[in-house]
Amino acid sequence: MNKLVFFGGKGGVGKTTASSAYAYHCTEKGEKTLLVSTDPAHSLCDIFERKIGSRITEIKENLYAFEIDPEEESKKYINNIKKNMKDVVSPIIVKEIERQLDAAAVSPGSDESAVFDKLMEIIIDYQKDYDRIIIDTAPTGHTLRLLSLPELLGGWMDKLIEKRKKAMELYEMATREDKKMESIIKKDPVLSKLNERKRKMEKAREILTDGDLVSFVFVLNPEKLPIDETKKAVTTLGKYNIHIKELIINRILPIKTEGKFWENRKKLEDKYMKEIEDVFSNKRLIKIPLIDEDVKMENLKHISKYFEGMN
Amino acid sequence: MRVIKLKNKRELIDNLKEFLKSAFDFKENSRQRIRKEAYDEMDNFMLLCFGDLLGIPVPTAYYTLELLPYLAEDLEGWERRIMARESIYGDRWGDFCC
Repeated sequence: MNKLVFFGGKGGVGKTTASSAYAYHCTEKGEKTLLVSTDPAHSLCDIFERKIGSRITEIKENLYAFEIDPEEESKKYINNIKKNMKDVVSPIIVKEIERQLDAAAVSPGSDESAVFDKLMEIIIDYQKDYDRIIIDTAPTGHTLRLLSLPELLGGWMDKLIEKRKKAMELYEMATREDKKMESIIKKDPVLSKLNERKRKMEKAREILTDGDLVSFVFVLNPEKLPIDETKKAVTTLGKYNIHIKELIINRILPIKTEGKFWENRKKLEDKYMKEIEDVFSNKRLIKIPLIDEDVKMENLKHISKYFEGMN
Repeated sequence: MRVIKLKNKRELIDNLKEFLKSAFDFKENSRQRIRKEAYDEMDNFMLLCFGDLLGIPVPTAYYTLELLPYLAEDLEGWERRIMARESIYGDRWGDFCC
């Protein structure tokens, strides 16, 4: 797999287990590994049984973890705007804007943008310092949206820049002060902010669609709904030029089962295993069995064995 | 016919000039229209940035917040204008008659 590995999948299939086990596998090979969670309902801290939060935390030798906190990130962003504002705006309307900023910070949509920004910041800033960055994402819907953000917002940014330019050009025509206006357009802080944002979006898109830098792994269980969701996700991601080469099939029942109930379950599972092998025949399948214990640091070592031989 | 005094004559011609200028000066007229168009365009830009404030969801709402300090002065006027837009026909008609 590549330097950046995203783990995605339906809720509850074992993304955190798989990504932690893979991270463990990487550290065992001596790679300095950073495990990042973008799911607002973090569970890395539960697997490692310790507080992690939004700072890089050393878990063990070569293994570091980070949980992105959307609220904290959007608060940081808003506070930064407030700080910069004091130089630009007259003190009279500062209060009014602050009120609007605070309202916007808690509006839906802010969280996902905040997570996205922080994730890109981590990837860009820490790429050099780590051999491997593993991203434990939120359930499929969330993640698809996250990955489609640069595409979606990039287009919107283009429109905003175009509109702003057009309006300013019209002003220029209306005022006749050609030379002065030209320099105003060049110095327009709104346009420069928009352009800067657009550049960041383009950079993010470049990174996420770089097939030599990013691997996207989907985790699923041999059951109907996770298979269906994986099929859809593979198609959707393909549209954004993100190709999935590996699938992890988690929670496979042991071969020998006792009792009518488990025998029936196993039969059903065999059917779905066959379906997975048929539908995703061009993908590498990594199989992880169901274990009879909670997933904790101690049994990650055991689970990580199933990644053996993977780079 | 009484003789018009030279001074009055001058005044009359000046007034006539002014009248003709405003009646037929396309330059001034068109400049005014462009200015109106520029204001409209700027209002539309504001709408794309801060439609959220009016309840229209905007996907980039989070990112346009950083523009707020630079556009804040226009924000209040914009909100008032955009709320007053009751009919697009009335709005467009206003462009041509006044």
